[in-house]
Amino acid sequence: MTEAATPAIACRNLWQVFGPGADKALTDALSRSGNDADKAAANLREKGYIPAVQDANFEVKEGELFVIMGLSGSGKSTLIRCISQLLPGTGGEIHVDGENVVGASKKALTELRRKKLGMVFQHFGLFPHMTVVENVAYPLRVQGVSRKERLARAQEVISLVGLDGREDSFPRQLSGGQRQRVGIARSLAVNPDIWFLDEPFSALDPLIRRQLQDEFLRIQATLKKSIVFITHDIAEALKLADRIAIMRDGKIVQIGTPTDIVLRPVDNYVREFSKDVAKGQHAKVASVMRDGEGERGPDDPGLTTAMTLDAALAHCMELYEPVPVRDASGAIVGTVHPSDLAAALQVDET
Amino acid sequence: MTAVTDLPQQHVARLTVGAQAALITVIVGAICLALEGVAPWLVKWPIAWELPATEWVGTFLDWFLNAIKPAMRMFSDVMTYPMDGANYVLGNTPWPILIGLVTALGWYLGGLPMAALGFLGLSFVLASGYWAESMNTLALVAVSVPVALIAGGAIGILANEVPRVKSAVQALLDIMQTVPTFAYLTPLLLLFGFGPVVGLIASAIYAAPPMARNVMLGLERVEPEIKEAAIMSGGTRFQQLFQVEIPSAATQIMVGVNQCLMAALSMVIIAAVIGGFNDIGWEVLLTMRKAQFGESLMAGLVIVVFAVVIDRMSGTLATERKRYDPRAVWAILGFAVLFTAAFWVWLPNPSDLTLLDPMADAVDSGLTAFTQNNGPWLDALKNNSLFYVLLPLRIGLDQAVLPFTWGFQWTTSMSFGLFAAGAVIALLMAWRGHLTGGLVALILIGMLETGISNLPWPFVLTGAAALGWVAGGWRLATLSVVLLCTILVSGLWDRALLSLYLSGAAVFSCAVAGGLIGLASAVWSPVWKIVRPICDMLQTIPLFVFLIPVLMVFQIGEFSAFLAICAYAIVPMIRYTRHGLVNTPDEMMEAAISSGATEWQIMRDVRAPYAAPTILLGLNQTILYAFAMLVIAALIGTTGLGQSIYLALGQADVGLGISAGAAMAILALIADRMVQGFAEERRKALGL
Repeated sequence: MTEAATPAIACRNLWQVFGPGADKALTDALSRSGNDADKAAANLREKGYIPAVQDANFEVKEGELFVIMGLSGSGKSTLIRCISQLLPGTGGEIHVDGENVVGASKKALTELRRKKLGMVFQHFGLFPHMTVVENVAYPLRVQGVSRKERLARAQEVISLVGLDGREDSFPRQLSGGQRQRVGIARSLAVNPDIWFLDEPFSALDPLIRRQLQDEFLRIQATLKKSIVFITHDIAEALKLADRIAIMRDGKIVQIGTPTDIVLRPVDNYVREFSKDVAKGQHAKVASVMRDGEGERGPDDPGLTTAMTLDAALAHCMELYEPVPVRDASGAIVGTVHPSDLAAALQVDET
Repeated sequence: MTAVTDLPQQHVARLTVGAQAALITVIVGAICLALEGVAPWLVKWPIAWELPATEWVGTFLDWFLNAIKPAMRMFSDVMTYPMDGANYVLGNTPWPILIGLVTALGWYLGGLPMAALGFLGLSFVLASGYWAESMNTLALVAVSVPVALIAGGAIGILANEVPRVKSAVQALLDIMQTVPTFAYLTPLLLLFGFGPVVGLIASAIYAAPPMARNVMLGLERVEPEIKEAAIMSGGTRFQQLFQVEIPSAATQIMVGVNQCLMAALSMVIIAAVIGGFNDIGWEVLLTMRKAQFGESLMAGLVIVVFAVVIDRMSGTLATERKRYDPRAVWAILGFAVLFTAAFWVWLPNPSDLTLLDPMADAVDSGLTAFTQNNGPWLDALKNNSLFYVLLPLRIGLDQAVLPFTWGFQWTTSMSFGLFAAGAVIALLMAWRGHLTGGLVALILIGMLETGISNLPWPFVLTGAAALGWVAGGWRLATLSVVLLCTILVSGLWDRALLSLYLSGAAVFSCAVAGGLIGLASAVWSPVWKIVRPICDMLQTIPLFVFLIPVLMVFQIGEFSAFLAICAYAIVPMIRYTRHGLVNTPDEMMEAAISSGATEWQIMRDVRAPYAAPTILLGLNQTILYAFAMLVIAALIGTTGLGQSIYLALGQADVGLGISAGAAMAILALIADRMVQGFAEERRKALGL
């Protein structure tokens, strides 16, 4: 994948402001502050508006699993609703496959949703009067796909999420985990390119949550969708994400890989999050590796770039000399000093 | 905060809003009383100052109604077709088949219990000999309900789709709910003339708002994520609405269907007052007028049976249903058809059935015996309530206390004595720190001395403004005063005060009795087991039927009206009181218990305060119910606005009917907003 490829989603200077006449208020605030987002947001707050998303800028590459993380009220749910155009967006641009969807016609949006977008909701959003298979087939039904065809496709995705045998149950007869499987199946029915998941596992028990996370990763490994995934759980974000955007009070404060977030937090707010997580389980060897062959000792404990720090450390428990690191193909790409591994695991006491 | 000294000036400066409002009211009241002799216009609004508002309204409405009359007549002509059709079908279908149909429907909706209810209910109707009349009534309901459902559903969907009209629609529905039913009838009478079509249209108009309300509520309450899921599935707005949102709101919408059915039935029966055409409501009215109470009660029971069957059966629609074996449906229908075919020759004409006539006669003679045996006791109850409670409330102690009722004549010095006593009580309470309470006590004593119907108008306006101010700020105060002023200048003031007195007395009695019953039901569950079915029954019975038993025992008069109003209006008070008290969060109860509070302390310090907003809402409902019943009770003797509306109906006087209806709606509206205001304040204080 080249950097020049069109990103699946690109947001530029995206704002969502709540309040009467928000459009004009935002334009005023921005022109008065000379396009300084922080000042404009402060100005809006003073006037009683709620700037729920402030000047968001990011791209989601094709096939990337992009996680937006933040506490409740940080604007992450609003942001995903802007991108999916469930909310109109007060200012800025959203490009989906290179096309700006802000201000697109109702018809164009409906078409986009029918072909390219799928969404999973925190509380499932299942239609209570439809059976599992009817729920899953609904996105096809609105497009006028014939009954036989849509039921066949629904059956396919139901199998994909492991709900065989529950096709004719109603949502109220299912457990929470099963309901979310239906939600996932429904969002995949039209085989969308872009997949939105709004805190899909937050309402589930920890055990079920982990099960579904693993299955989600399995499904994603085969489908390779471009994903925007919302969560308030840092462990979930670190486990699933290719890249993470951390939001606070409507602002994106940091965008980076899980390793970046854990090892190089931009401020104390992000550091607070990563404090609770065992760094060794999330940061990868690549983050402490020095490029090139370099000087190293005679031992080769078999480290690879994708190993977590914990695993690497376990391999070099008794070593003091730098050791080689290989990539997936087995070629040596750099060296790691065991003391760097240990140092990276130090808990910040700030 | 640091005030250590107890200087009176500081007290005045720190008066609460309530105390200030009460103080102003007391002062205005005192001034009015003092100046009564010199300036009689202060007490009674001079006739010369009245505007002929009712005539204006009448002229305008006459013009307007005449303008739309041709269109409306055409509509009513169109409506006669489905009505004649329904009449023909229901009237000519052999009764075993109809009973079979209802029984089968009952089975389909609710299994054996509902099937049994349908069978027994219709068998009772058949045995009563009112079959033909019942079918006429049912035909009206059968035509008016679909009209109401479609109209109400369309209004609800429209309000949901076009947010700009939503508040307007809601206001309109509020008004339609508060304007008394009889007031609708007068303009309809002008438009459509006497006859069953008026009843049909009146009941459709009356039954549409609950449907609209429930559709709106249901659509509003669909989970936002379900709506979003429909959008993200790529549905058009039409698909979202009809494939997802409306089916998701089905339960709430079915509640609307249930309420719509009940409202239509209730109104069809009331409409008999103008369009009697051999239906069951007309039968009740006729027998009531002829004082054939046994038959009247029997016809009333037929109505109750219909109400119960329709309510319970349609009620199952709003709950999660099991599927019942459809074969039973076919079996029942098949049996009905076979029965009809086999006994065709011997099938009695249902109108000739007199199986229950002996019962009606028994009731009649039993009643006569009962009133004769218990006459002195019943009369004493009635007279004592009238002389010692209702009359003083209405015209004040100074006029109600007469030698032949109380045994002595009220004198001016007694008035002074009463006021002095009131002042002492107020001072005592103020001294104990309850200044507002003291002032309110003084106001109440003043009102008792003067009588509600003789209250000086500046005092009433000030009192309403003060209450409005405390309950909902200056906006509510302004609204109340402006609306009351329209009643004042339109010449309906005296009648409005009379209505206020009777409904006030009824609401007060309901609040006390209903509150106590609710309390008993909350603390002692066996009581609730008995009270609950009674409440269910009272809420199912159409308004009209309440009049029969009170009339049987106490004859026509204000006391009967008072009792009928109480019987109808007490139910919400009981329900809400119990509901509020029972639903104290467990954690709060556990916290109180672990603090070592006794039962009584928990009730006083935890449960009652927590239930206060709910109980206030119950009071609000009770007030609205009382106003609704007040107009119906005009049939058996009340004065005031209700009587005016009823008279206007008889004389086809649209101006008076609508004006008096509007005045009634204004009173109900103000009371509603004030109580809601207090409830809101309590909720806020509790952080709910």
